[in-house]
Amino acid sequence: MEGIWGQVSDVAAALSRDASGRMSGPFHTQIEKLPDKILLRIFSYLQHREICNLAKICKKWRMIAYDTRLWQVVSLRPEWSGLHVNSLESLLALISVRFGPSLRYIELPIELITHTVLHELASKCPNLTHMLLDFSTAMQLHDFNELQAFPTKLRYLCVCLSEVIFMEGFMRKIYNFINGLEVLHLIGTYEKTAEAEEEEVYEVINIHKLKSAIPNLRIVNLYGITFVDDSHIEAFSSNCIQLECLAANFCAKVTGSSLKLLLSRCRKLRCLLLAQTGLLNECLMQVEWDKAQQLQELDLTGTDLSSECLSYVLSNLQNLRYLSAGQLDGFNDSVMRNFMEKGNPRGLVALDLDRSDNISEEMIYRFISRFGQQLRGLILSGIPHITDQIWTSIMPVLSRTKILVMGMAEGCCQKIQQKILVDYLMDCIATNCPEIERLELRWDPDTLRYSDKSQKAVDALRVKCLQLRCLVLSDGQYYESVKANFERADRRTVVRTGTNCRVTNSYLLTDYRELMFNS
Amino acid sequence: MSKIIKLQTSDGEIFDVDVEVATCSGLIKTMLEVLGMDESDKEIVSLPNVSSAILKKVLEWTKYHKDNAPPPELDEPTDISSLEICSWDYNFLKVDQGTLFEIILAANYLDIKGLLVVTCKTVANMIKGKSPENIRKTFNIKSGFTPA
Repeated sequence: MEGIWGQVSDVAAALSRDASGRMSGPFHTQIEKLPDKILLRIFSYLQHREICNLAKICKKWRMIAYDTRLWQVVSLRPEWSGLHVNSLESLLALISVRFGPSLRYIELPIELITHTVLHELASKCPNLTHMLLDFSTAMQLHDFNELQAFPTKLRYLCVCLSEVIFMEGFMRKIYNFINGLEVLHLIGTYEKTAEAEEEEVYEVINIHKLKSAIPNLRIVNLYGITFVDDSHIEAFSSNCIQLECLAANFCAKVTGSSLKLLLSRCRKLRCLLLAQTGLLNECLMQVEWDKAQQLQELDLTGTDLSSECLSYVLSNLQNLRYLSAGQLDGFNDSVMRNFMEKGNPRGLVALDLDRSDNISEEMIYRFISRFGQQLRGLILSGIPHITDQIWTSIMPVLSRTKILVMGMAEGCCQKIQQKILVDYLMDCIATNCPEIERLELRWDPDTLRYSDKSQKAVDALRVKCLQLRCLVLSDGQYYESVKANFERADRRTVVRTGTNCRVTNSYLLTDYRELMFNS
Repeated sequence: MSKIIKLQTSDGEIFDVDVEVATCSGLIKTMLEVLGMDESDKEIVSLPNVSSAILKKVLEWTKYHKDNAPPPELDEPTDISSLEICSWDYNFLKVDQGTLFEIILAANYLDIKGLLVVTCKTVANMIKGKSPENIRKTFNIKSGFTPA
């Protein structure tokens, strides 16, 4: 019986194909038939700017667009793809009518940070736990003398500092409200002033007072703050016994002189990120790394540490799972040997040696052969002698890897003469790394050599590596052809150019999600 | 051998369906739990809100995702992370609007979370980037607002 019915409905389907060949099925169901609950779900996949548009469609859509459940995470910083609110009055209306108890996360730009807004958030949004306050473009601070209330349930606070505006007038008003804070981001102006002349550096926020107010901190991220030095690191060590992660990337004044104290006091500190800081050998030589059992994640990228110092650190650390050691001239074969023989790389899952080009091909081969099997992320880009040949030879042990970065970016160092046979390399990755999620090949188009069968290798990668969500290539012909290949299979967002996307190991940090800011 | 159950659609057609496939539906799973598995091969589970043409589509989706690809991530409704859907789903959902909405209604009624997510994302993709006027045209919506 089923057979007959099946045939009949097949015929019906065939008949209902219209002239254009597109199915015009027997159903004339309109979007109006969908229950509100479903429309709400559809809206939830769209950005707030789009949702505001939807409010103009019809009364029903307006009602759904204004449902507070769609307004739990809100950015009001237009330059960070947030919503633009044109007046304080409309923001105050939004807070009480639209956000209410649903609001959990908000980003405010300087012009919207006023005592009335903060009062309104404190009284209408009892579930607000995450807040970002962007003072970075401030010319002057609003007057906060009348600030009497502030959200009290904050777990996460991110403050983008300005170079010249002193925060104390604001901060002393909020100290009493933020003792529940667990995650603190202070974002400096490093990116804005990187190339500027030596200017006077102002200590715009009082970190010593701040840390006394927030004893439960688990995660501290000080990013690119010109005035931060070791005394500030020490400050966190004296009060924050719960500290699990401290990042001070791009804080050039940090030398490491308080690390010894920090590691002996904060026994839960498992993650220390000190890329592009002014670390000194003698400071790191004083640290008792062998006693820092808690430390699992370490970033020393772009510092001036010597081979002797790096050897000392890596021979003594016992539980390392994440190591970023890029742009280190001191990272040579003897450091690697000491790490392998005296240290303990057996728990290592992420290794980044980008542009640490004093390490030999042979040493890398030896290391990866022994420990490659456990790696989830491996970055060996910017090392001229690490070519497709060594990659294809180590690929079979990299079977569990999720992140790979390889190749020389254009204009990064001297050009390599050799050509990279990219088809074979792609095929090798497809065969050996079924779990790969992020892959970047930095070689420029002139260096890549591929044949007319190159699509076959790309097919293999696409079909075998279903988790692959990000494939970054240098802009050029090869990029175009790989992108077209993935687009034909409707995986449109996978292939990107190196100019707008960079792959890093940071996804493998335990606290990756909490460490994100301005994203 | 896996068990088969009988599903009857609104237009009276009866489908023999593998229990494993059928229980991707939260509704059928609950029904079977209430009925008891042993009884189920005698009873016919009636689905008065689903037509045979749509049930066929739904079963095609559940079969594919049971055997091949892992079911799409069950995002929280508030997660605006990604509008991406896998290519098989993309091709599977290249249908006219009426059918798409019927599949959504069926996924909702039968409580198949994964199918609901990909179909809703498909509609969101149809909305994304369009002007209000364009959206009204696309979905044939009457404004209902008096012009200002």
